[in-house]
Amino acid sequence: MNRIDQLFQNKQKDILSIYFPAGYPKLEDTLPTLQLLQDKGVDLVEIGIPFSDPLADGPVIQTAAKQALDNGMTLQILFDQLKDARKSITMPLILMGYWNTVYKFGVDAFLAECQKVGIDGVILPDLPLEEYQEEYKAKFEAAGVHNVLLVTPQTTDKRLVTIEKAASGFLYMVSTASTTGGALQASKEREDYFKKIAALDIPSLIGFGIHDKVSFQHAASFSNGAIIGTAFIKALEKGNAAEFLESLQ
Amino acid sequence: MKIKVCGLKHSKNIKELTQLPIDYAGFIFYPKSPRYVGEEFDAAIPALFSKSTRKVGVFVNEELDVLLAKGKKYKLDAMQLHGGESAEYCRKVKEAGFEVIKAFQMNDSFQFESLEKYGNVCDFFLFDTKTENYGGSGRKFNWELLENYKGSIPFFLSGGIGAQDAEQIKQLSHDKLYALDLNSGFELQPAKKNADQLEIFLNKLELNTMNKDKYAVDERGYYGEFGGAYIPELLRKNVDELQENYLKILASEQFKKDYARLLDNYVGRPTPLTKAGNLSKRYGTNIYLKREDLTHTGAHKINNTIGQILLAKYMGKKRIIAETGAGQHGVATATVCALFGLECIVYMGALDVERQAPNVARMKMLGAKVVPAISGNQTLKDATNEAIRDWIANPESFYLIGSVVGPHPYPDLVTRLQSIISKEIREQLEKETGNPNPNYVIACVGGGSNAAGAFYHYLNEKDVNLVAVEASGLGVESGETAATITIGDIGFIHGSKTMLMQDDDGQITEPYSISAGLDYPGVGPLHAHLAVSGRAQFLSATDEEALNAAKVLAESEGIIPALESSHALAVLEKMQFKKDDVVVINLSGRGDKDMETYMKKFN
Ligand SMILES: Cc1ncc(COP(=O)(O)O)c(C=O)c1O
Repeated sequence: MNRIDQLFQNKQKDILSIYFPAGYPKLEDTLPTLQLLQDKGVDLVEIGIPFSDPLADGPVIQTAAKQALDNGMTLQILFDQLKDARKSITMPLILMGYWNTVYKFGVDAFLAECQKVGIDGVILPDLPLEEYQEEYKAKFEAAGVHNVLLVTPQTTDKRLVTIEKAASGFLYMVSTASTTGGALQASKEREDYFKKIAALDIPSLIGFGIHDKVSFQHAASFSNGAIIGTAFIKALEKGNAAEFLESLQ
Repeated sequence: MKIKVCGLKHSKNIKELTQLPIDYAGFIFYPKSPRYVGEEFDAAIPALFSKSTRKVGVFVNEELDVLLAKGKKYKLDAMQLHGGESAEYCRKVKEAGFEVIKAFQMNDSFQFESLEKYGNVCDFFLFDTKTENYGGSGRKFNWELLENYKGSIPFFLSGGIGAQDAEQIKQLSHDKLYALDLNSGFELQPAKKNADQLEIFLNKLELNTMNKDKYAVDERGYYGEFGGAYIPELLRKNVDELQENYLKILASEQFKKDYARLLDNYVGRPTPLTKAGNLSKRYGTNIYLKREDLTHTGAHKINNTIGQILLAKYMGKKRIIAETGAGQHGVATATVCALFGLECIVYMGALDVERQAPNVARMKMLGAKVVPAISGNQTLKDATNEAIRDWIANPESFYLIGSVVGPHPYPDLVTRLQSIISKEIREQLEKETGNPNPNYVIACVGGGSNAAGAFYHYLNEKDVNLVAVEASGLGVESGETAATITIGDIGFIHGSKTMLMQDDDGQITEPYSISAGLDYPGVGPLHAHLAVSGRAQFLSATDEEALNAAKVLAESEGIIPALESSHALAVLEKMQFKKDDVVVINLSGRGDKDMETYMKKFN
């Protein structure tokens, strides 16, 4: 069974997911960071594939991605680093990146590598749903890789129906209209949106703007859990990742 | 789709038809036809049609000498061979300089393989209904048979087409269907056409939309395999809103009126088409310059911003975001925002803010906020990223994109707004030379908006050679270049599937050109399609070649071009023209903003 499905079967509340870019702050940090996350009880990890032009990301992730690229990170190196990860890492692993890097790598080759190293899902924010369904869905399913879809406060009800039908794994519920790293503003409207998505038939995690224990618990109270990216990257940069993870407990 | 009207004869009748969009006029030289022009046919009659209507002589098993003599006497452009003419005969007619349309008669047992030997000797086939007497039956054949035609030669559809067939024709989707041949279905009596009925029929076909088909976007924003809307879900609603509204608004009477009025009395259109006499002499041909440099704000960019600001206004938007490279689009956006009293935020790469200081000053004076983009290499690509990020964070804003790039519908929207350029070129050339079609249209390509505008109305005119010029910087092999089509490959940038410059790992690489407006690692999806399909030829010019071309134009014609436009001028040195060729160069902007660069080079 796909590890993502297993996770949501075993745990419905307070799922903590962490995002960090591969090869950051140092090229060889990918695996040690994964180990740290597992040791600290993180439920799910999104490993960022660094890209030169990350449209949906704010300054912190942009800078981290640039650092990773300057370190020499590539998709192939990432797969090589993950070659033996499954010997010790049991958390579900998701690759998050932009479509151009995957397309250039070759979709078939990408999925074959995902299967080989034990990737459970991908998040490809700029691959349109229609193109995914027509051209790639069958391949992803055959490889047992979930394509996790995003919903946002702007997503119309009509589109939500389409997305719900097409979704697999869980829904990535974007908290606010912003790039990554913004602040989460609480409002009645926001809560209604969270509740609407949480009521759907598929699990959901809230991301964008979750940065500490308080915002995590607030978000998690409306969904199955939440995703922290920018705040964790700042901790990696400062060298206090372990402390940061402990502060979330 | 092209239109041929066949079986013409009487001058009075032809005069009623000359205003209609007829691409081919057919005259029948077969004595047994009821529409035979006769022995004494006056050579002045075919000439009543303008040059853009090609004259076709229809013959059945005629002696070659007789056919060639008639071709000469009546100045025919094409020969329709309607009998059992051999491939060898066709070859001789083609070698004599005529376009060859070979007719075949369809019935259920027709063998399309029999056409193979005609492949190299005909320009077109014509499929007609099988009869005893070489066509003219007034009956249609079973059009489903066309599905069996898998050849590469485009064809005319003929035989009994009438006013009632418009809808069925619009449904035909054969990619080699090139033209309709209309005859007896639109007649008052043999050889006398019903002009009113023809006009109604042609309107019904909506030729203008049909004709763009091959190079127009499909419903999901693709030109061939390029285009689409590869955007994060965060932008979906914004982009959907625009997709749903843009065509409706562009087609509305109010928009058309406002847009035309502003182009006329604010932008200063139509811009002149200047015959460049000295340049023509220098290159031994006939060179015309489309003077976009003479628009308000000094470049073609304003054609687009005027249109988009109207769109923003009708959609109730109050805050405008734009990106800019050279600053021309930024200035054009700041200008229309000032005119309409809207808030204006322009993202500009921090490096370009330095390179293009005069334009930064202009934007500020016009009341815009200029935000330096400090991510990446701090040029146009990064400014575009920042503008898109702003749009994600401020979804109620209007993103006023500056070229034929970005997610659908932007490439199509901007192309339509810039198409005024080729619309005017056609009218001006027709007046000047009697023929709206030049032999060449040459334009520089950064994202590709001025080129898309200059090409648009010629996309389906295959006798017009389209030449796109990219900036090769220090040379395509140097690594310091912006020649996307030459060194790039397929990828995704700013929401569009297109050609782009990237490394083996799919990281977008930094372009280089001396000209900030051409310094972009992608190209609009229309251009990727034109390049891959071979419809347009893609050349490039280096910094050095562009600078020299600017000097040549300044000294020979008294016009200082923008550095971007100088790239288009530079290929005059590399191309071969005939003496009577007509060459149009889109002079996309004026050189004021580039004086510092020019001074450095020439002082
Ligand atoms: C004068 C001029 N020409 C051409 C361009 C290139 O843009 P495009 O390829 O969209 O026409 C620019 C862009 O700034 C420009 O200012």
